[in-house]
Amino acid sequence: MTDSVDFLPPDSAGSARRVFLKQLAAASSSLPLGKALAGGSATAMLLQSADATAAPSGKPVINTVYGYQSFGPDEAAFVEAMLNIMCPADHLTPGGVDCGLAIYIDRQLAGSFGQGARRYAAGPFLQGAAQCGPQLPLTPEQYFKAGVAEADRAAQRLYGQLFDVLTPQQGDAFLQQLAAGRVAGEQLDLAEWFNSLVYPLFAEACFADPLYGGNVGMVFWKMIGYPGLPATHALDVVQYLGKPYPGAANPKSIADFS
Amino acid sequence: MKTRASKTVVIVGGGLTAGLIARQLTAKGVEVLVLERGGDHSKGPESSLPNQRDELRWAVRQGLIQDWSRETYTLRHQHNQTALPVRWMESFLPGQGLGGAGNHWNGHLWRWAEYDPQLRSHYLHRYGKQAIPADMPLQDWGVTYAQLEPYHDLFEKLFGVSGQAGNIGGKKLPGGNPFEAPRSGPYPQAPLQVLESGLVFKQACEQLGYHAFPQAAANSSGAYTNPDGQKLGQCQYCGHCERFICEANAKGSPQVLLYPMLRERKSFEVRLNTQVLGLRYDAAGKRATAVHCLDLLTGEEYEQPAEVIVLAAFTMSNTQLLLHSKIGKPYDPVSNTGVVGKNFCYQVNAGVDLFFKDKWFNPFLASGSTQMVIDEFNNDNFDHSGLGFLGGATIQAYQFSGRPIKGRRVPDGTPRWGTAWKQANADWYAHSMTLGIEGSCYPHRGNYLSLDPTYRDAYGRPLIRMTFDFRDNEQKMAAFLSNKMMEIARHCGADKVGSLQGLVTPFDSRLYQTTHIVGGTIMGETPHDSVVSPHLQHWDAHNLFVVGASVYPHNSGYNPTGPLGALALRLGDDLQRYLQRPGRL
Ligand SMILES: Cc1cc2nc3c(=O)[nH]c(=O)nc-3n(C[C@H](O)[C@H](O)[C@H](O)COP(=O)(O)OP(=O)(O)OC[C@H]3O[C@@H](n4cnc5c(N)ncnc54)[C@H](O)[C@@H]3O)c2cc1C
Ligand code: SF4
Repeated sequence: MTDSVDFLPPDSAGSARRVFLKQLAAASSSLPLGKALAGGSATAMLLQSADATAAPSGKPVINTVYGYQSFGPDEAAFVEAMLNIMCPADHLTPGGVDCGLAIYIDRQLAGSFGQGARRYAAGPFLQGAAQCGPQLPLTPEQYFKAGVAEADRAAQRLYGQLFDVLTPQQGDAFLQQLAAGRVAGEQLDLAEWFNSLVYPLFAEACFADPLYGGNVGMVFWKMIGYPGLPATHALDVVQYLGKPYPGAANPKSIADFS
Repeated sequence: MKTRASKTVVIVGGGLTAGLIARQLTAKGVEVLVLERGGDHSKGPESSLPNQRDELRWAVRQGLIQDWSRETYTLRHQHNQTALPVRWMESFLPGQGLGGAGNHWNGHLWRWAEYDPQLRSHYLHRYGKQAIPADMPLQDWGVTYAQLEPYHDLFEKLFGVSGQAGNIGGKKLPGGNPFEAPRSGPYPQAPLQVLESGLVFKQACEQLGYHAFPQAAANSSGAYTNPDGQKLGQCQYCGHCERFICEANAKGSPQVLLYPMLRERKSFEVRLNTQVLGLRYDAAGKRATAVHCLDLLTGEEYEQPAEVIVLAAFTMSNTQLLLHSKIGKPYDPVSNTGVVGKNFCYQVNAGVDLFFKDKWFNPFLASGSTQMVIDEFNNDNFDHSGLGFLGGATIQAYQFSGRPIKGRRVPDGTPRWGTAWKQANADWYAHSMTLGIEGSCYPHRGNYLSLDPTYRDAYGRPLIRMTFDFRDNEQKMAAFLSNKMMEIARHCGADKVGSLQGLVTPFDSRLYQTTHIVGGTIMGETPHDSVVSPHLQHWDAHNLFVVGASVYPHNSGYNPTGPLGALALRLGDDLQRYLQRPGRL
């Protein structure tokens, strides 16, 4: 099984009902608040994380970018809870939110991807063979949000609670059911939504260049041993044939060369 | 609408084949104008460090690929279904911009089997009159491999191909492909390095009596200067090759080897950001008179007249331009009449992942063409008596990149997220490899291209409608080849062999397979069964020529570009003859 992803392409509902500064709370070990708030652009974040990588503290680098461009409070709560389940803090990486995964997804949805750039959007919108790809009159951002709202209502139906207040075990079980097509949506096919839109965004958030806000500190690249950009390997390919490649321990990203 | 000053030769599309034709013509001082819908990629982030190495931007979000919001295709599997638009295409990735898909390709360079251009005759001769099913309209091309060989040779020298010859003038050479069509000489450069995955595969093949050889590649194994004085750097095995532009100028591509040189030639002109919308056709005079253009920067529409018009805009655009301009009779699968859109074929794929605790594959140390291949079960290289299908596939251990978003492998049963998912990625990323098959796809009466009755592109033209599925022949072939591949997989000594990832049916636009779509404007010996003649001349317009994989009446078990390059170079020479004495070639 190639662990690759192929993605596809949302209304918003729900009422304001949550108070959450969870993200800030989770980031207690990071930078002073003032600096963190100033780090609104991805580049500034990267500079910070590059600094932090070099810091002798030995602590993992974590996300220092706060404030969402696309998510409202309910959406943020759902997405953050989901990402911390899909990427729990463990011996391999910090938790998903600290890895920048929520910032990644938020920025993608707010940006050209989320707005449907370069995607055919003319009607009519008819349902047919799945192999033609999704046929919804929605941008990826709209689709994402419509799915979050439906999934949250499904959690409420099944567990009597919104998704973000489920225990991690319940939340994980809910996502497994959802991905397997066992949670009925209202208007949407929630399995299709999760598998074609949410899951690819998750994988991208983990493994794309940190330039985009996820994979903070190249934590996922380090985890698998991907060396990143410096790829002039004409000699390496001979020298490290069948042997571990030393550069894999110390990856470099776009920010390191900018 | 304004009419601009007439040109001698106008080529629609500024990709690989267009560059080769223009090379031949402008060398003789013939005036050539290339019209390309995209821009110039040579100075942007796509071809400079550090942004060239951005998997998300170029590979996942398809930064170099056709803009689907403007032009896409509709799809249905059977002709009695309603087709729906593919709103975001993954299965194949046409290029956009000077150099076309020839910039962001992998670089595998094949000559097809010696019998491929005579495939129908070949099968009938070997297996008798009943060999070819009635719904499989295989046909000969009307040109032979021997006629194309000098052009293959030239193309390989121009693109600095790195490979190990297996057959020079009929003499078999060790280490090369024993099934190779006879070559007039060796490859211009030594093959690329063989990677650990290739060594594992080679050893398993030896146990089974198969002959593995390194893929011939347009990724330059050394520093190289071609016969035109154009230079390639040495391939850096950078792992950002297919879907990317080579920042090291090491990939044989039109952007490096053709267009910079052509732009220095006086008789050459290229107009970028120029969308060709259709052709003007004089049915009585059997001539294409002009090209209908839209300047995408200014919005101006105009007509561009020419003495000769060449369509070199890739399979789908070539077919669309003919259908939309009503040149030639559209194919109808029910009455089995007409030719334009006929014999649309794709490619058969399957794969399996292998996991080795103690082996280091370093997937990121790779070029777009680092693979070891066997050809034993390709096309008609083996006896098909009693098998119930025709065609076959290469089997290969390929390693093109370790790009982390899309290029990770985990064993069967790995959860899709959580600590166990992360652990599996950490454990197996550098310790896994893949085997694959890449196979032929023969024409089927029900697989074809036509104009969609409902959906339109950004310019108001009907979208091309694909009616396509992998039919019985291809499914049987894929099953047979998958067994052969799994047998090799079991001989590789892996700790874990993944389950077979078989041919996906019905055809699925959401999965990348290959960009090897062929047919639609096929070549052949008579106007009844083809759109263009063996000289790629349109039967209904003698000054109109079509080049590209759209002229292949079938797809072989190889990548398409070798014979395309040869056909394009030959067309360049044919056009010089045509211009001296316009008429049927
Ligand atoms: C990811 C990838 C990997 C590949 N790997 C291999 C490989 O390893 N080996 C191999 O043999 N082949 C490979 N190919 C296929 C190879 O790239 C093509 O066979 C080759 O580029 C075809 O040349 P062409 O001139 O027909 O089309 P292209 O090179 O694609 O050029 C066509 C040009 O026409 C332009 N155009 C289209 N429509 C219009 C219009 N209406 N008006 C103006 N301009 C237009 C396009 O923008 C494009 O620039 C690969 C392709 C892809 C996408
Ligand atoms: S693998 Fe080689 S040919 Fe391909 S892009 Fe990298 S350096 Fe260029």
